[in-house]
Amino acid sequence: MLEAYKISFAHKKHSILENIDVSVKYGELLVIVGPNGAGKSTLLSLLANEAGKNEEPIFFKKKTFEEWDYRDLAHNKAKFSQNNSHDIPLSVKDVVMMGRYPYFQSNPHKKDFEAVQKAMEETDVAYLETRDYNSLSGGEKQRVHLARVLTQLDNEVLNKLVFLDEPLNNLDVLHQHRILHTIKNFTEKGNTAVMVLHDLNLAAQFADTIMLLKKGKVVAHDTPNKVFTKEIISKVYNFPCTVCPNPVNKNPLIIFGT
Amino acid sequence: MLLLVSLAVVSLYMGVYIFERHSLAEIISGIIAQDSSISQSDRFVIMDLRLPRITMGVLIGSALAVSGTCMQGMFKNPLATPDLIGITSGASLFAAITIVLGSSIKPYIPEVFHYSLLSIMAFIGALLTMLLVYRISTTNGKTNVVVMLLCGVAFTALGFAIMGLLIYMSKEEQLRDLTFWNLGSLAGATWTKNAILASIMAVAYILLINKGKALNAMMLGERDAQHLGIPVEKIKKQIVILTALMVGTSVAFAGTIGFVGLIVPYILRLIFKSNYNIILPLSAVMGSVLLLSADTVSRTIAQPSEIPIGILTAFMGAPIFIIILIRSRKSM
Repeated sequence: MLEAYKISFAHKKHSILENIDVSVKYGELLVIVGPNGAGKSTLLSLLANEAGKNEEPIFFKKKTFEEWDYRDLAHNKAKFSQNNSHDIPLSVKDVVMMGRYPYFQSNPHKKDFEAVQKAMEETDVAYLETRDYNSLSGGEKQRVHLARVLTQLDNEVLNKLVFLDEPLNNLDVLHQHRILHTIKNFTEKGNTAVMVLHDLNLAAQFADTIMLLKKGKVVAHDTPNKVFTKEIISKVYNFPCTVCPNPVNKNPLIIFGT
Repeated sequence: MLLLVSLAVVSLYMGVYIFERHSLAEIISGIIAQDSSISQSDRFVIMDLRLPRITMGVLIGSALAVSGTCMQGMFKNPLATPDLIGITSGASLFAAITIVLGSSIKPYIPEVFHYSLLSIMAFIGALLTMLLVYRISTTNGKTNVVVMLLCGVAFTALGFAIMGLLIYMSKEEQLRDLTFWNLGSLAGATWTKNAILASIMAVAYILLINKGKALNAMMLGERDAQHLGIPVEKIKKQIVILTALMVGTSVAFAGTIGFVGLIVPYILRLIFKSNYNIILPLSAVMGSVLLLSADTVSRTIAQPSEIPIGILTAFMGAPIFIIILIRSRKSM
């Protein structure tokens, strides 16, 4: 699905990422975790082709991004970014409708309105549809953009790819789980998701594979059970922790400070 | 819905037009019917003074308003208009240099080329200032509004300085031309100018008028717009070149008519929020309405002389500038 080798990135001589290999399979949910400044967002941004040209090409469905038609690409991949604009003087449904821009010329079709409605219900913002985007709270704005990203990939294309950079910031527990379930549903249909998360326990519960970064290097890249061990986590985060099986679903459960 | 609104605005604009010509209805029909009872002077006033002037008002109003709206979309700020960030100054500066220095070669070249020369120079001036302002005020796709506005102040100051020098150096006749540039007027309208203006605008509108979606998406940030399949860099280049062309030509033919690009999008935003899909095409129509009414007022309010139209638009625009400043002071 997505293959990249030897990704390196430096900003003003400070190396941010060094020789990272990433390969994600169809239907995989990859979660990137790591302490602050590990280069998680930078890696996601490079994988999503935001930096433009890379020294080593990134292959998405066996083609480099330059080989893709930009409109086709928008039907195949989407990204949810961390720093969403706070000033968009439009109504909520107009912002979500932007996700449908790759699908119509000047006026949205009936299908587009339906897709918007569906995505807004999925992220629980349908009741806000006529509100001014600028009047919403941080968490609500976040959900509006998630709806926008979801609706962008609401199409017939097989094997789509979504990038999510800390999608759960500012969200309450209910919405955190709702969003993760939505993403899990998405990947179970053969689609792929690459997500940056801070909450290790949520990552352990939902991810198929975990990539643990520290200071621009991969510390571990494996299933949650293999990555989330007491030794690795306490060393990387430089903080004591205990890992035990989650009594409900047997995923690793990390308890810090013990 | 969109069609309805635009039809309503178009009919309003037709209303202004007909009302303004109402008392002359018989003369117009006479001219169309080739009636020999119409006097030569009447025919001249209609065909060679009034009509080209109205046409130019419609064209320039529309061009300035669309330029303003596009630039606001590109800079992601309602204060980014050709006059406030110095583009108009750049264009009129180059036009002024052409008038003063080009007067020696004027008699030797045909009229069409002479107008083209002026508009080409104004275009170059507009393009250069636009590129400079954009480079200085925008880093990583984010525009620093304060820097952008101060760039405008700086370029306008530079323009004033050089303009002052030119006025000091110029002869009697050039002086009149320069004053006309500074205040702005549609009185110099001819069919040749209108034809040049119309052809430039036709190209610009074909490329720009459907970019509403792209400008909306750019409010998300340029990266996110790219993820939505919007070719951001290409669109920005188109906007820079085409608005510079439109502003440059407008300035070359009618001088600095300020604030049209600020007033029109502001009014439309009050009604339609910032949905460029709606306000971009509507600003083309509203710009015409605004400038045509302003010109009609400027011709009739102080008969038999006329007030320069730039003064009128500045009276409307300056308060709106202040209102936008007050509203956005928190975010600046």
